[in-house]
Amino acid sequence: MSSTHNNNVEGSQSVPQSSLTEQQRAQQQYQIFENSLPKISQSAYQMLLNEMVPMAMGIEKQLSGDIVSSESNVASENGNINSMMKKLKIEENHTVDIMSSHNLINELYKAEEVERERVLARLRNMGFQIGSKLSELLIFSNNPNLQFKEMDLLLIMKFVCRDVWKQIFGRQIDNLKTNHRGTFYLLDYDYRPIQSFSLSEEAKDEELKMIEPFLEIPVGIIRGVLSSLGYSSEEVICLASFIDRPTERPKTTFPKGVSFHVQITMSQ
Amino acid sequence: MGIYSFWIFDRHCNCIFDREWTLASNSASGTINSKQTEEDAKLLFGMIFSLRSITQKLSKGSVKNDVRSISTGKYRVHTYCTASGLWFVLLSDFKQQSYTQVLQYIYSHIYVKYVSNNLLSPYDFAENESEMRGQGTRKITNRNFISVLESFLAPMVNQ
Repeated sequence: MSSTHNNNVEGSQSVPQSSLTEQQRAQQQYQIFENSLPKISQSAYQMLLNEMVPMAMGIEKQLSGDIVSSESNVASENGNINSMMKKLKIEENHTVDIMSSHNLINELYKAEEVERERVLARLRNMGFQIGSKLSELLIFSNNPNLQFKEMDLLLIMKFVCRDVWKQIFGRQIDNLKTNHRGTFYLLDYDYRPIQSFSLSEEAKDEELKMIEPFLEIPVGIIRGVLSSLGYSSEEVICLASFIDRPTERPKTTFPKGVSFHVQITMSQ
Repeated sequence: MGIYSFWIFDRHCNCIFDREWTLASNSASGTINSKQTEEDAKLLFGMIFSLRSITQKLSKGSVKNDVRSISTGKYRVHTYCTASGLWFVLLSDFKQQSYTQVLQYIYSHIYVKYVSNNLLSPYDFAENESEMRGQGTRKITNRNFISVLESFLAPMVNQ
C-alpha cells in the first residue's frame, strides 16, 4: 500500500527527489516489483507442498512393488530401472488405484526403517531441488537487501531465515541461534504447512511421528539454498525436530514449534 | 437450552460426526460420536433426505428449493447442505429462527480448515464400497476440529 502511494508521489515530480537515498529508491522499486508478481492462493500452494509427502510414499510403493515382481522374473536382471520406469508410466496412464493421502501417510508411519529412510531421502531431494533453484530466483529479483559479494555464513543463514522462508512459507523464521562456529538453530514456532494437521486426542505421539516426514521438505530446501551459495551438501548437516513453543507466544493450533539444526563443517 | 445436538452427514449418507448436549446444567457434558445415537442419526437423516426429495420434486424448474429448517412441537431442525454433499444439521429450540449462518461458518471455517486441509485425516470417510450407503462407522475424531467446534458452539448451548 505505502509503496504505491510513494510511487505516485515520485511520479508527480512535486516532491524533491533528493529526499530519497539510493538505498531507499532501490527498496521501493523492489517493493513494486514484488507487488507486481502474480499471487497464488496460500492454501492451494500449501496443499500442493504437503502432497509431496504422500506422493513420495506412493512412488516408493510402486517401485518396491515392481522390485518384488522383477526379482521373481529372472530375465529382467539388468533391465531393472527400465522396467521401473515402464511401471511408473503404466500406472500413470491407468491410474488403477488411487490411494488417498492419509492412507499413504499412515503407511509411511508404519513402514520399516529402510523404506522410511528412502522416502525421506526422496523428499529431501525434492526440497533440495526447490531450494537450489529458489536462491537463483531470489538473487535474480534484485533485492537491495542482499549483498552477495561479501557474504559470510551468518549472512547466508540470515538470507535463509528472512528471504527464503518468506518466499516459501510467507513468514520469516522466528529465531536464529548460532555459536559462530558453524552451528545454527533456526526456530520456527508456527511452521505454516502443518498447522491444520491433527489426529484424535489420544494419538499425540503418533501424530508427531506422522508429521515428521513433512519437515524433510524444508530441510531439503535449506540444504539446496546452502549448496547453491557454495556450501556443498557434504559439508552441511541439517536436521529438523519438534520443540516446545515458548509460553508467552499466542497459542496456535499445532502445539509444537520446529527447530532446524544446521551444522556446517568449516574447512579452515 | 439453545441448541440440543449437532450432526454432520457425508455424501454416502453416513453420520461422520455427532455431538449432543443432553444436560442443561452442564453444557460441557453430553456425548461426542457416541454409539448410542447411531439410530437417531439414521432416523434424522432419513427424515431430512425424504423431505429433500419431496421438495425437489415439488419445485419445478431451476428455482432452488432447499430444506432449511423443519419444526416440530418441541424443537427445530436446521439443515445446511453443501454442493459436495455434506449435510450439517443442528437441533435447537424455537428462540432463533435461522442457524444457516452458523452452519455455514462451521463448514467454511472449521470443517474446511481442520478436516479438508488436514492431510492426516480422510476427506472421504467411506473407504470402500461396503461403507457407503449409510453403512460407514468412521467419524471425525481429530482434536483440533473437536476443540474449535466445541468452543464455537458452547456459548449457544445455554442461550
